[in-house]
Amino acid sequence: MSEEKPLAGKQKQIAISEFFEKNKHFLGFDSLQRSIITAVKEAVDNSLDACEEERILPDIRVEINRLDGDRIELISQDNGPGIPRGAIEHVFGKFLLGSRFHAIRQTRGQQGIGITGVVMYGQLTTGSKTSVISKVKEESSAVQVDLGIDTRKNKAIKSGESRDVWIDDITGEEIKHGLKIRTEMKAKYQRGRQSVYQYLRMTSIVNPHATISLTVKDRDGELIEEGHWPRTTGRLPRVVEEIKPHPHGIHLGTLQRMLREAEERKMTSFLRHNFSGVSMRAAREILGKAGLEESRQPRRIRAEEAQAVLDSFQKVKLLNPPTDCLSPIEDLLIKKGLSKAIDSRFASTVTRDTRVTQGNPFQIEVGLVFGGDLASDSPIEILRFANRVPLMYQQGGCLLTKAVESVDWKRYGLDQPGGRGIPKGPAAVLIHLASTNVQFTSEAKEAVAGNEEVLGEIRRALMEVGKGLKNHLKKSSQRKKAREKFELINVILPEISQKTSQLLGREEPNLAPIITQIMNAVFCEEALGWDATRKLTTCDITVFNYTARARAYTILAKWPESETVAMVDNPLGGRKETHGLWAWRLDTLDPGSSAVISFTVSGLSKGDWADMEIFFRGNGDIIGATKIDEKLLDEMRNKEALDAAVEEVRIKKDPMIENLAERAEESVPVPNDEGVIDMGSLTPDQGVDE
Amino acid sequence: MSISREKSKDEVIQALHNVASEMHDKMSKGNPPTMTLPVRSKSNIGFDQRLGVYKYGKKRTVRDATNLGSAKQLLRSLHVTEFIEEMINNGKSSTLREMYYISEAWGNGKFHSQNESNNLAEDLEIVTKCLREDFRLRPEEDGARIIGNVTFEERNRRGDWMRINCRDDVGDSGYGVPYNVESEKLRLIDEDIDFIMAIETGGMFDRLIENGFDEEARCALIHLKGQPARSTRRIMRRMSDEWKKPIVVFADCDPWSFRIFASIAYGAIKTAHISEYLASKGAIYLGITADDILAYDLPSDDLSKQDLGALQAELSDPRFSTGWWQQQIELMQELGKKAEQQSLAKYGLDFVTDTYLPEKLAHPDVGLAY
Repeated sequence: MSEEKPLAGKQKQIAISEFFEKNKHFLGFDSLQRSIITAVKEAVDNSLDACEEERILPDIRVEINRLDGDRIELISQDNGPGIPRGAIEHVFGKFLLGSRFHAIRQTRGQQGIGITGVVMYGQLTTGSKTSVISKVKEESSAVQVDLGIDTRKNKAIKSGESRDVWIDDITGEEIKHGLKIRTEMKAKYQRGRQSVYQYLRMTSIVNPHATISLTVKDRDGELIEEGHWPRTTGRLPRVVEEIKPHPHGIHLGTLQRMLREAEERKMTSFLRHNFSGVSMRAAREILGKAGLEESRQPRRIRAEEAQAVLDSFQKVKLLNPPTDCLSPIEDLLIKKGLSKAIDSRFASTVTRDTRVTQGNPFQIEVGLVFGGDLASDSPIEILRFANRVPLMYQQGGCLLTKAVESVDWKRYGLDQPGGRGIPKGPAAVLIHLASTNVQFTSEAKEAVAGNEEVLGEIRRALMEVGKGLKNHLKKSSQRKKAREKFELINVILPEISQKTSQLLGREEPNLAPIITQIMNAVFCEEALGWDATRKLTTCDITVFNYTARARAYTILAKWPESETVAMVDNPLGGRKETHGLWAWRLDTLDPGSSAVISFTVSGLSKGDWADMEIFFRGNGDIIGATKIDEKLLDEMRNKEALDAAVEEVRIKKDPMIENLAERAEESVPVPNDEGVIDMGSLTPDQGVDE
Repeated sequence: MSISREKSKDEVIQALHNVASEMHDKMSKGNPPTMTLPVRSKSNIGFDQRLGVYKYGKKRTVRDATNLGSAKQLLRSLHVTEFIEEMINNGKSSTLREMYYISEAWGNGKFHSQNESNNLAEDLEIVTKCLREDFRLRPEEDGARIIGNVTFEERNRRGDWMRINCRDDVGDSGYGVPYNVESEKLRLIDEDIDFIMAIETGGMFDRLIENGFDEEARCALIHLKGQPARSTRRIMRRMSDEWKKPIVVFADCDPWSFRIFASIAYGAIKTAHISEYLASKGAIYLGITADDILAYDLPSDDLSKQDLGALQAELSDPRFSTGWWQQQIELMQELGKKAEQQSLAKYGLDFVTDTYLPEKLAHPDVGLAY
C-alpha cells in the first residue's frame, strides 16, 4: 500500500464515497464473483507499486477463506515499506485520484479506485471493518488498527488501535517492514479464466521480479486451490521518471485547473514549466496563435481564452514528450515470465520502442509462446496487460484483442478459420501496453479503447513475433529433414554398404561420392547447452560441406548481447558485426569436411537462450542458416549508433547533446513501418531553440 | 508352387543376391543404392490374355536411398535376405510374424509393424520371382474350411500321407486347409461333386451345412473367412483345374465382397505377381447381387462413406470393367444400399437352400440346376 506521506501530499481528494455506493458496478464490485478478484487486484497492485517505489523485491501472500453464507475472508500481506501510522486513515479511508495532473508516469494504481473501495465494499456487504497491520522500518513495532468508512463524510473511522511486535505466521520471524490487511466481504470464489488464480498467474508473468502465492480454503479448512509463482529475476523494473503533461494530450478542464493553481506570473513561464515539449519559442508561438499576451497572468485566463490556448496547442510544432517515463518488462523477462506460467517449446518476444499518441508516450510489448502442453485445436489464449496489470474482462471489446484478430496468422503458421479472428493453435499471446495514460473503453477499465497508433504498433509487434514463429516452424522442419539426412548417410548407408558387401563377398564401395550425391548441400547445425559448473551457456555451430566443391563462408550468429551478457570463450575469434551479432570466417571448407564454431556466454540462466538464429554470407545456400540481408544489417548498425546517442543523452541530460542527438537522428535514414527497425518516437523536430 | 518350376535352394539364394547386387553395383559406381520393383497399384495391373488373369504391368518404381524411409527399406531387404539365407541353410522356416519379432534385433533395419514386414516379403517375392514358400516364410493367416464329398491326401508332421474325406472324416467344422497346399504336401484324390461353392461368412457356411446343402446340391462348400488366404485361393484353383469343376462365389452384397470375388476370379492387386497360380478364372459371382436386393426385397443397410468410395474405385478397376459388373455397381450406387447374405433369413431359415440358391444356380448364366 504505497501512498506514504511525501506522496500523499500531492493527492487530490474527492468526496466520492457516496458515488461508490451508487456506482459499484463501474468499479469492479458488480458481481459476487468479480468482487473478490477486484479486491485482490487492488491489494496486490498497491503492494507491487509500493515495493517498486522503495526498490524492494516483492513477496506477496494472498489468502482467501470461505466463511458462512456468501462471506469470504481476504488476507493480503506484503513485505513493502508499510504505511506510517498517521497516513493509514488517509490511504484506506479516501478515494484517491492519482497525482496524474501534475506528474505523469506509468503506475498500476491509476487503474483502480484504490484500496478504499475494498474497505468500503466489505463494510457495505458485511458490516465488518478492515483490519490493517503496518510496519515501517523506522519504528520498533507494528501498528494494528481497524478501519471503517463514513460514507457521507468521506472519512475513515479508526478503532481498536494497538502496537506490538509483528511476528510472521508462517516463518515465525519478526517482520521488519510490510503491510497486512484482512477484510470480510460478500463474494463468491470461482475458478477458471476469470478467477483470482488467473489474475495472480497473469500478474506473475508481467512481474517476474515478484514472488506471489495464493491459498484458497473452504469453510472446513480444506484447501481448494493454491498457486505459487516464485520470482524469476532479482532485477526490479526500472525507476520511471515523472514527466509533465504534453500539450497534445490535455483536456480543457485540466488546463483550466492547472491555470487556476498556477504559481507562475507569466503565461510563457507557465507553459514552459508545466508542460513537456514546450520551448520558449513554442510558448511564444502558442500564445501568439491564441491571441494572448505573453505577460498575462495564468490565474486570470478566462475559459474562452483557455480554449484558444488549447486550440493553438495543435497548431504549433512541439517536441515529443520524453519517453523514459515508461517501464517495459523487457524481452528476456517476458520470456521468463511466460515460460514460468506456460509450458511451451518456443517463445518469441518483442519490445517496441516508445511512441507517442496524443501527447502520451506508450510502448508495446508482445510475447508469443508455441508448442508444448498448449492445446492445438482451440483458440489461442490472449493475455492482456495495461501497465503490468492483467485485463480479464471484455476481451472481445478490447483494442489488444482486435489487434490480434486483425493479423493474418496463416502467414505465420497458425490456423485462422475464415482468415479472421482469434487464431487457433498451440499458442498463447501476451500483449502489454505501457503508457502514462491508458485510454479504456469505460470506467471499469477492462478493455483498452480504440486508437489507430496503438493498434498499428501492436500489429507490428505481433507480426514481428509471428515472423519469429514462422522461422521457428520452418527451422524445425528443416532441422528434422537435416537430421534424417544425417542418419541416412552416417548410419543407414554404411550399413547397406556393409551388408551387401558381406552377402556378396565383395569389397565395400567408397561412400564419399554417394554421400555428396545424396546430400548435395551445405548443412548447418547448432546446439545450445549449459555448463553447470561454470554457469555458462555453451554454443556450437557445425557446418558440413556435402557438396563436390570447396566452400567459403562467413557465419553470423545472433546472441543476446547486453550489459550483463558477455562472450567468454571464443577460440575462433571472429569479430563483432553489430550489437548482438557476431561473425566468423570459414575460409576453406573442403568437400566432405566440417567445421565447428564454439563459444560460451555468461550472464544467462539455464534455458534463457533456447533458440539461436544463424546467418551466413557467401555463395551457395546453407540448410539451417539464413542468408544475411545486408540492408537489414545496415539498419541494425544505424539503430545501434542511434541507441548509443540516446543513451548518452539520458545519462548526461545536457540540452546541447539533446540537440546533437536530434541532428544525428536526422542524418540517419528512418525506415518505414515495414522495416524491422523502428526509430520510435523521436521524430525530427527542426528549429528547436532555447 | 509345384505345378511350375520349383526353385532350388541355390536359385532362391541367387535371386536374393541379385537384389543385393543391384545395390552394390550402384554404389560401386558412386550412385545411391536402388531396388527396382513393379508399381503395385490398380493402375499397373492388366489382363494377361495368355494366362487369363490380371498381372502387374510394365510400370516400374525405383526405390533409392536418397531419403531415410526408402534407405531403411533397402537395409531391411538386406536383413531379410540374410535371414532367409540362414533359414535355407539350416532347414528352418518361420512365420511372417516371427520374422517381424526377429527383426527386433536388426537395429536400424527393424520393422515397425507387421504390415511393413509382410509388404517387404511380398516385394521380395515380386522382385526375385520366388514365392514366400521358397523363402521359408509362412503366413499367419487362417486357411479355409471345406465340407463336401471330396477326398484329399495330406502329408502329416511324421511325413506320412493321410487320406481324408471332407464329408465322412471331419466334424462340423470341416477340413482345415493347411498353409501349404502344393503337391508335396497335399494331393487331390477323389471327388463326387458337381461344383464348388465359396462362402464369405461363417454363419452362412454353417447354415448350408445344417440344411445338408452339400449333399443335396452335390457340391463342396468352402468357407472363405473374409478375404481368402493365399492357400484358400490356391486350393480352389487346384480343385477347379484338376477336377474340372466350376466355382461359384456366394458373398454379401457390398463393395468389399466384390473385391473378395475379384481376388478369386482374377487375382488380387497385392498378389498380382502370382495370379496365375492363385486365380480361378472361371469363377462365377452367384450373389448376393444388387438385383437381388430388389428382386427378393431384402433387408438392407445404407452404404457408408467408405463403401461409396470403394464402389467408386471399383468402377475404374480393370477387374470390374465388364458390362455386368458396371451395371451392378451403378445400381448399388443408385440404391445406396448393401445387404448381408444372412438377410435371406427374413423368409425363414430354409429359404436360402429351398428357394434362393436353387433359383440362382438354375439361372442360364450359371447353369447348375439340380
